[in-house]
Amino acid sequence: MAGTMMIKIVFSGGLELLFGNERNQSVLIPPFVPSDNSTHSSLSSSSESSTPSSYNDTPSTGETKAADLEYLIYHLRDHLLKERPELFMENGTIRPGILVLINNTDWELEGEGSYQLCNNDEIVFISTLHGG
Amino acid sequence: MSSCGNPAAEEQALMPRRLKFGNSKDCVRCRLKPGNIVIRHAVYCKECFTPIVDMKFRKVLEPSVNARVGTSKRPKLKASGNLCLGFSGGLGSSILLDIVHNTYFSGRTPLDDSGKPRGGTNHPRNASVWPSCIVCYVEACGAFAGMQDRTEDIRSVVERYPSFDFVPLRIEDAFDGSWWTKVSGLKSTPQVWLELSKEGLLTDDLHVASQVTGLTPVEAMRSYLSSLPTQTAISSALQNLARVLILHTAHSRGSSHLLFGTSLTSLSISLLSSISQGGGYTIREELQEEWAPVAASGSKPSNVLRVIRPLRDVTAKECAVYAWWNNISVIGRDKQRRAIIGIVALTKNFVVGLEKDYPSTVSTIARTCEKLEPKDAPSGQCRLCKRPMQSAIQEWKGRISIRSYSDDKLAADLAHIPSPCRGNLDTSIPSQVPPILALTDFLCYSCHTTLTSRSSRGVKQPAPGVSSATPLPIWVADRGLYEDGLMGDGARRKIPEEEMLDTVAEFLIDNQDCEE
Repeated sequence: MAGTMMIKIVFSGGLELLFGNERNQSVLIPPFVPSDNSTHSSLSSSSESSTPSSYNDTPSTGETKAADLEYLIYHLRDHLLKERPELFMENGTIRPGILVLINNTDWELEGEGSYQLCNNDEIVFISTLHGG
Repeated sequence: MSSCGNPAAEEQALMPRRLKFGNSKDCVRCRLKPGNIVIRHAVYCKECFTPIVDMKFRKVLEPSVNARVGTSKRPKLKASGNLCLGFSGGLGSSILLDIVHNTYFSGRTPLDDSGKPRGGTNHPRNASVWPSCIVCYVEACGAFAGMQDRTEDIRSVVERYPSFDFVPLRIEDAFDGSWWTKVSGLKSTPQVWLELSKEGLLTDDLHVASQVTGLTPVEAMRSYLSSLPTQTAISSALQNLARVLILHTAHSRGSSHLLFGTSLTSLSISLLSSISQGGGYTIREELQEEWAPVAASGSKPSNVLRVIRPLRDVTAKECAVYAWWNNISVIGRDKQRRAIIGIVALTKNFVVGLEKDYPSTVSTIARTCEKLEPKDAPSGQCRLCKRPMQSAIQEWKGRISIRSYSDDKLAADLAHIPSPCRGNLDTSIPSQVPPILALTDFLCYSCHTTLTSRSSRGVKQPAPGVSSATPLPIWVADRGLYEDGLMGDGARRKIPEEEMLDTVAEFLIDNQDCEE
């Protein structure tokens, strides 16, 4: 569908174990998403090897906002995460100990959750919790 | 945003969130390129970041490479022995392998026109800092049922570095006489067994039991772990077993340096958790230590092994980015191993959470601990963890805690406590077993507390088929147990210095008498 954004997702440092051991995945995100980050009007996702399939619909009711990283995190939790969501999210954001890179740049330099997603962005999630 | 004012008076009294970096998004080092990473409020670009981590690594390691500190400002690095790297497959140790290989073993010696090292292979400039390097990995799958053996995965990682020799160990080697013979050179060492209470836990006095035979190393290790009173004790015991296995292996292979990939974040976690488990006396050893097995009386002291954590100034975030940008694959740890709970896991959650909001605080923990040192000289080496031991621990422990409730009144006062929760309160008459058969005096405060301090939330349920005794790691009996009176007839025991002085006091000549 026109206007959707394809976001490339990479999990590393052991975080991939929570996502079915798939390191590289991609998701389709609409340009506008619910302000409350509700993901019930879900989009589909796929692993890197196959073509991402299209999403179902865009939010029809309620307030919307431009798709941002915060929404993507909720989307990953609700649609890609296979087990133990508490190891991925905490208090509405990424759990401490997980580093996020947006197009190879620390998400702290890009505004963290408020970063507005663009088509073909690459978001890398690296767990630092595997110790020495 | 968090409130910092009186919400009744001011509606918008919100504290502005502190920026995680300065005003500029450009690299603070080259000042040319846009930054890619924020490290403790400073912004670095990708090109400047890797050399900074390498520099931090060398800054910690290189002052400790040469056996003696010379007068030269830039001394030539030459270690007195081999190098040993502790490898767990985790983030820090994966980076450690890569940096050590690239910096000291990648063979970047300058070549002459014929392609040979300039000045010949024997030229001092072309000699490596360490003649050889081994990588030790301790497989812990024997400790937990259903855990996957990852030795071959680890081997495949180490084989990417042709200069390194892989030395796989297993956690149950700690209970294996043949492994001990290999590393210590001793023909036969008796294993020490400890008596267990009715619940299958170690008793407070740690009485040595008569030897029971017929257990394989894995069974012996599982028996030891099941006799420990808390999850914290099990997690701490596994850490200690792995550490001592690597220490002995490194020493037996002629290593002068043992490196661990402990990052600043991991170091702060281990410092805090060690202190909270009673390991405050060995806080310096947690940072950096010089270790040698204690020699039997009369024999020559052996070579000292320097244990260094060269990534101790590099945060976990820096490690993660370094690994990502340098294509270093991190295997990670088994899920079951990571699910270990206890004080270490609680401390980890606390420190990692702290690092997210207040990144500089984590380094403050390590910096503060660096300034601490124990007041008294150690009285020896702990039999179990092989770290320095404080003197007169039991006297001090006796003064600061109530360890038995033999008094009738106290026992009556405790009657209201449900019996499962009363398990850690000894209301019986103190044991009359002679102290010469107890291991207590040979353990540090932390090990003794870990072995005997039961959970305040009730006693662990006994495992089915509890035996009357449990074996201890083989190195507990590594030197003259007969000398110390711990094993054998019990009559030959080490006499404390004070007792010895009392015995010979009347024969001593006073210093003043000599001067007269």
